[in-house]
Amino acid sequence: MPVQFAAKRLGKELSKIQNGLPPGIELVSADNLEEWFLDIKVLDNNPLYLNETYRLKFRFSQSYPIEPPEVVFVKQADRPIPIHPHIYSNGIICLDLLGQQGWSPVQSVESVCMSLQSMLTGNTKNERPPGDEEFVRGNKQRPKDIEFYYHDNTV
Amino acid sequence: MQVFSDEAVNVPDSTDWLGTPLACLMPVEQAFRCHVCKDFYDSPMLTSCNHTFCSLCIRRCLSVDSKCPLCRATDQESKLRGNWALREAVEAFTKSRRAILDFARAPPPALQSPTEQSNSPTKRKATEMDGAKEEDQETKRPRRSTRSTKTRAAELTAAILQEEEDTTPSADPDYVDQPPDDGLVACPICLTRMKEQQVDRHIDTSCPGSPQAAASKRQAAVAQTPQPPSTFPSFNNRLGQSTQPQKPPERLPALAYSMLKDTALRKKLSELGLSTHGSRQLLEKRHKEWITLWNANCDSSRPKKRSELLRDLDEWERTVGNPGGGSRIGGIGMTIGGGAGQGPMARAQAAGAEIKDKEFDGKAWANRYGDSFGDLIKQARKGIKRQTLDGGANSGESAKEKKKETEAETEKEDTPADLLPRTRPDGDGESSVAPPTPMDIVPPSSPPRLDEQGGDTGMDDEQQVIPGTPEKGNSKWETSQQQKQQPPIAGDA
Repeated sequence: MPVQFAAKRLGKELSKIQNGLPPGIELVSADNLEEWFLDIKVLDNNPLYLNETYRLKFRFSQSYPIEPPEVVFVKQADRPIPIHPHIYSNGIICLDLLGQQGWSPVQSVESVCMSLQSMLTGNTKNERPPGDEEFVRGNKQRPKDIEFYYHDNTV
Repeated sequence: MQVFSDEAVNVPDSTDWLGTPLACLMPVEQAFRCHVCKDFYDSPMLTSCNHTFCSLCIRRCLSVDSKCPLCRATDQESKLRGNWALREAVEAFTKSRRAILDFARAPPPALQSPTEQSNSPTKRKATEMDGAKEEDQETKRPRRSTRSTKTRAAELTAAILQEEEDTTPSADPDYVDQPPDDGLVACPICLTRMKEQQVDRHIDTSCPGSPQAAASKRQAAVAQTPQPPSTFPSFNNRLGQSTQPQKPPERLPALAYSMLKDTALRKKLSELGLSTHGSRQLLEKRHKEWITLWNANCDSSRPKKRSELLRDLDEWERTVGNPGGGSRIGGIGMTIGGGAGQGPMARAQAAGAEIKDKEFDGKAWANRYGDSFGDLIKQARKGIKRQTLDGGANSGESAKEKKKETEAETEKEDTPADLLPRTRPDGDGESSVAPPTPMDIVPPSSPPRLDEQGGDTGMDDEQQVIPGTPEKGNSKWETSQQQKQQPPIAGDA
C-alpha cells in the first residue's frame, strides 16, 4: 500500500486530467509517475502574459501527496519564463503552496496549475524577485531544498 | 503512458458519470472520495474539525504536520473518531456503483443522448458486453416505463452479483476470498492450513476427512456464529468477520522518541517484532510508520492480517522509508555531525517546520532551548578538539549566560545567518536570528554511518544539498566555507 500511495493517487489525477482540464491548462506529457509537463496560459487580458504559453514541470516524490510536488517553469524556444516578482528567471517559483508549510495533500496538479494561473493573472508588476540574478547564478539547489521566506500575503 | 499498470490508469473516477444521463451522480461520488488519496474512503475517520479522511491518509498527514489537510486546524491522531455511517454508505455505494454505471451507460435508445458517444473508448469497451445485453432487452421491451420494477430489480441484483464477482481492487481492496498469504498450504481434503511438507503426513494420519470439521473448528476459534458451517470455509470466515468481529486489535500509542534511548527504542521495535536494524533516524521512522499502519488497520472494518501489515511496512521501507537522504547528508557532514546526530532528526524536522512558520516566536524558542544550544556548542567544540565524544553535559552555568553565548556564537562563526530563517514578521531585533534547532549543533566525532545513509537521491550535481531545514542547519558546519548560498527572499520586503 505505501508504495501504491503516490502511484495510485497520481493515476487518479491523470485519469481525471485526461477527462478534461480547466481552460488554459493542458497536459503536455505524463510518461511516468515522476515527472509531468503541463502548459498553462493566462486567460484574461493581462498585458504581461498576453498570448503566451508557459510550460510547467512537476516532479513527484514517493511521498506525494503528503509532500508537495516540485514545480518549476521550464524555458523553451516558444515557452518563456513568466515575469513575476515571485518567479525567478530560472523558473523557480516562490509560492508557499509549494513549500512544506503551505502544501496540503488535498491540493493536486490541477489545483496547483490553477493557483499559478491566478498568481499570474493578479500580477501587475513587470519585474523579477529582488536578487534574481545572483540567485540564478549561484543556485544549485533543488527547489524543495531552498528555504523561501514567504512574506507577501497579497498573492 | 504504457509504463503504467492498468490499475493505475483505468481507475474508476467520479468523472465516469459525465456523459451519462446520470451525470448528477458525479458530485455524489465525489462526496464519497477522500480528499487526500482521491479514492473511496477506506475506514473514514472524523477529525476534530469535522472533516473526514481515510484512516491511513489522515494519520500520515497528522504525523507529518499535525494539521488537517483541508482547514489546517491542528489535530491529533488520538482525537480521530471513526465515521461509521459514512463507511457503510461508501461500502453500499461502491458495491452498486458498477451496476448503476452500466445501467446509465446503456440507456434505452429514447434516452440516449449524443454526449453518450463521447465516452472514452476503453471504458466503453469494458461495459460493452453488458451494454449489448441491456440493449437487446430494450428492443424486446421498447417502452421503458412499462418495465416492471421487479424486472429492473432483478437485473440490478444480477449486475450486483456480477459486480461482486469481479470486484475491482480499488473498490474493495480487502475483500479476501483467496487463501491468506501466510506461507502455508491448505490440505486438499479438510482445508486445514499447514506447512507444505506436513501435508502428506497429515493426510495419512490426522486428517478428519471433511472440510466441515475444519470449518467448524475455525468458527469455534473465531467465536460462534449462528450459521451452520458450510462447505466454504472462506465464506464462513467472511461472515464471521463481518457479523462477529474478533476482539479488535488495540491501537498503539505514539512514542516520545526524544525520551527514548537507542536501546529502549530497539527494544520497543523488537517487542513489536520489527527490525531493529538501521540508524536511529530510520528506527524512529520505522516505528512511526508501523504505528500509522497498525492504527489505521485498527479502524478498518476488515482488518488485515499482521503479516500483510508487515509486508506493507517492508514495501514502505524499500521506497519511502529510505528516501535518498544518504548521499546528501553524506560527505563531510558525516565526519563531523555523523552518527550521534541522527537521533533527533525527526524531532528537528518538525522543529524546522515550526521555525519556518510565520507565527514563529523566536524569543520563546531561544529561551526554551538556550541551555541546550549552549551545551551542544560546548560539546561540539570539545569534540572537534579531541575527536572523541564528550558525553558529559555541563549544566552549572546560568541559562541566561548560555543563551547569550549561544546567540553570539551563532552569529559569529558556526552558523552563518543566511542559513537560518532571517527576518521574522515581528521585526524584533533580538529574535531576528532564530537560534538553531538542537539539530544544528551536533556533538561530533561518532564514526560515520554512511551505510545506512546510502541511497540514490536522483540528484546529479555533486554539490551537497541537504533536504529540509534541519539538515541544512547541520550542513552549515562544512558548507559555510565552501560557499554561501543566499536563500532567496522573494518579493518586495
